[in-house]
Amino acid sequence: MQKCPIPEEIMMKIDHPERYIGNEINSVVKDKDKVDIRFAMCFPDVYEIGMSHLGIQILYDMFNKFEDTWCERVYSPWVDLHKIMKEEHISLFTLESKDPVKEMDFLGITLQYEMCYTNILQILDLSDIPLLSKDRTWDDPIVIGGGPCTYNPEPIADFFDIFYIGEGETMYRMLLDLYKESRKNGDSRKEFLHKAAKLSGMYVPQFYEPVYNDDFTLKEFKPLESDVPVKITKELVTDMDKTYYPDKPVVPFMKVTQDRVVLEIMRGCIRGCRFCQAGQIYRPVRERSAEYLKEKAVKMLKNTGHEEISLSSLSSSDYSQIEELVNFLVEDCTKKKINIALPSLRIDQFSVDVMSKVQDIRKSSLTFAPEAGSQRMRNVINKGLTEEQILNGAALAFKGGWTKVKLYFMLGLPFETEKDIEGIALLANEIAKTFYDTVPKEERVNGKVQITVSTSFFVPKPFTPFQWARMDKREDFIDKAEHTKHYIASQLNQKVIKYNWHEADVSMMEGVLARGDRRLSRVILNAYNKGCIFDAWGEYYHHDVWMQCFEEENIDPFFYTTRERAEDELFPWDFIDCGVTKAHLLREWHNAQNEKVTDNCKARCSGCGALKFDCGICVNR
Amino acid sequence: MKVRIKFTKTGILKYIGHLDLMRYFQKALRRTDIDVMYSKGFSPHMIMSFAQPLGVGVESLGEYFDLEIADTEDVSLIKDKLNVTMAEGITIEAVCVLPEKSENAMASVKAADYYIDFYDKKPDFTLLNETYLNSSELFYEKETKSGKKEINVKEFTFDFKIEESGLFIRTDASSGGNLKPGAFLEALFKKANLDLNEYKYHVMRQDLYTLNENNEFVSLGLIYA
Ligand code: SF4
Ligand code: SF4
Repeated sequence: MQKCPIPEEIMMKIDHPERYIGNEINSVVKDKDKVDIRFAMCFPDVYEIGMSHLGIQILYDMFNKFEDTWCERVYSPWVDLHKIMKEEHISLFTLESKDPVKEMDFLGITLQYEMCYTNILQILDLSDIPLLSKDRTWDDPIVIGGGPCTYNPEPIADFFDIFYIGEGETMYRMLLDLYKESRKNGDSRKEFLHKAAKLSGMYVPQFYEPVYNDDFTLKEFKPLESDVPVKITKELVTDMDKTYYPDKPVVPFMKVTQDRVVLEIMRGCIRGCRFCQAGQIYRPVRERSAEYLKEKAVKMLKNTGHEEISLSSLSSSDYSQIEELVNFLVEDCTKKKINIALPSLRIDQFSVDVMSKVQDIRKSSLTFAPEAGSQRMRNVINKGLTEEQILNGAALAFKGGWTKVKLYFMLGLPFETEKDIEGIALLANEIAKTFYDTVPKEERVNGKVQITVSTSFFVPKPFTPFQWARMDKREDFIDKAEHTKHYIASQLNQKVIKYNWHEADVSMMEGVLARGDRRLSRVILNAYNKGCIFDAWGEYYHHDVWMQCFEEENIDPFFYTTRERAEDELFPWDFIDCGVTKAHLLREWHNAQNEKVTDNCKARCSGCGALKFDCGICVNR
Repeated sequence: MKVRIKFTKTGILKYIGHLDLMRYFQKALRRTDIDVMYSKGFSPHMIMSFAQPLGVGVESLGEYFDLEIADTEDVSLIKDKLNVTMAEGITIEAVCVLPEKSENAMASVKAADYYIDFYDKKPDFTLLNETYLNSSELFYEKETKSGKKEINVKEFTFDFKIEESGLFIRTDASSGGNLKPGAFLEALFKKANLDLNEYKYHVMRQDLYTLNENNEFVSLGLIYA
């Protein structure tokens, strides 16, 4: 019978005990005496969030295909269990073997958003692994970070032994081999890390040192050993059909956020929206072939029994074989009573036709993300979406029977004016008007249209043209949200427009951590010691505690947010090469100032630098 | 045609709730090639009915659900088809065909057997036995929306025995009068002046019963077998 390291009395007392039992269909159990390497793969958030992440499913499958490796999963215990584990000294365990994480050779942590940083410390702490890399010995696993946040790993540099920059499919095999060899030779931990630092894509923070100017801007970022690379180039898969992708993803018992088969149709995005990090760091766009995807879809549905399949990519309409793939799925899936989810499809005739086949129109809503209200502002951010396209899309959808529309915008974008904020309300009003113009009174099913406007606050991110931008203060944000509300209220169709906005405090902290430097490790550590975890969950975010930590560590948080950055400033993340050059980003920053639109990769190459990877859209044009 | 499927739910899977269990079986059926019948409408769902839901934390050797499948299915293969795709802890024990006009699993449940194993410290079994036999009323305080309600659990208990290291009970499991083993224990221990919180125990549901035409309890799995 399966072990459960948490006693029954506790299991019966906590929320969702099924988060901690493992044993799911397609989870992998190996004989621990027959493997050389044990890898714990962690998503530092609660099970149902972590289990929904595609990247981990891909790497879990890859590692377990290696005969000498057993990869297991670990997630953040929820706050109730966290407290009990601390009090009762229960060590964090992996879901498959239920063995302590501390016994593993590697602990890989995926970093998907900045607000999970205190949860990294939670995982280490509950596993009895020293929080700081420098205090660890061979009794501890090698702690390795991956995911988008590693494109500025500096705020959490002290907690990691290695950061793997880029896509995981390519270099792990070499790293594992190096590890096996190092252990056989009796290398010290430091010797192993030193060798690892020479592998492509591996950043070992202890071999690098930031040097600051008097004003705390970066003066220099230098390697401490002569043989480690000065610049670290991201890793990427060059042929998306010849790589790892699971046939048998794990099927959770619990209803998780992504309770479906996820088919990653391509990686990267041809569009260069200037606020968007994903659009830059995953360049160039690489597609999987429709043939490959069809085969995977059939296998994954068969092996999981899921009742839904979803296409995943940053911008699915840009996938060159989208019609062929979707038509195949509609035909194959409707026969088997399987739903199809099509997020991130642009609203056009094709998508409206498809969606009317696969969705319950009355219940579903249409989503547009114009991100900015005025055309001028959409040019600034390079969002290639015109008002005409939005209104035509809406008209098509209204004719098709939809009545619910969701609109997403950002407030606090660089060069924003009052007019741009008013533009949000005007656009929402125009959409309502389009509804009344296209749908005759007698055909209005629910009588009226429902428009939901949501705004989030813009957070500048590394490796985007807006990495030089200053971020608004909390007060500015609140003020802008109030203005948006006011403008919406003064529209003719204001009754059918609902307005939501996000928390400003969390956005500010995200802004600090996103463009932070190594000095912030102290603040994060202090915040964890003061009880901060699950900061990404609004109700657990304690702004006042974080602010107190900044004060105690004598660091000004606004240094990272509202400060104007010079064009030649050296950034903490500049030692990473994501393909897109700093010169290109600066050019784009200037284009933003001049309200100048840049073509997408399909229309015309803008020479961003990613051509050097010699793959994807750069070579298959 | 309609079939009744008997399964176990043991070990760590006792922490899976009823809704998750239903989803688990829907996915499991989709992993096989069994031709399951679906309801009509925009979001069709499998036509299935589960017997009395098992509480989280309780194991069982006798759980049931009824399922509509195509008449062309070979019923003798269903058990094996499902067992190759079960998680450790859930095993299909038997599959039988139901007559056309049978009551569904949920509606027909009348009673359940439980074995309660005190795996750590043992309570005074003789005292518990005497308390049970000598009291005509055993009250349990049930929290309802409209406040607290006293329930005489003895009325809903059909059998009680001391067995080795634990207790055996047969209780009402009908949708109207379902008595949970935890509620029974609380009432009994209170009456015997024992503190239930001092004892650790596992509960194992052993089987579910319905009534035959002679008003006798018959296992849900055997009524049409
Ligand atoms: S379309 Fe724009 S916002 Fe969306 S992923 Fe691509 S670059 Fe980013
Ligand atoms: S090099 Fe050109 S085509 Fe390739 S990603 Fe950059 S802009 Fe796009």
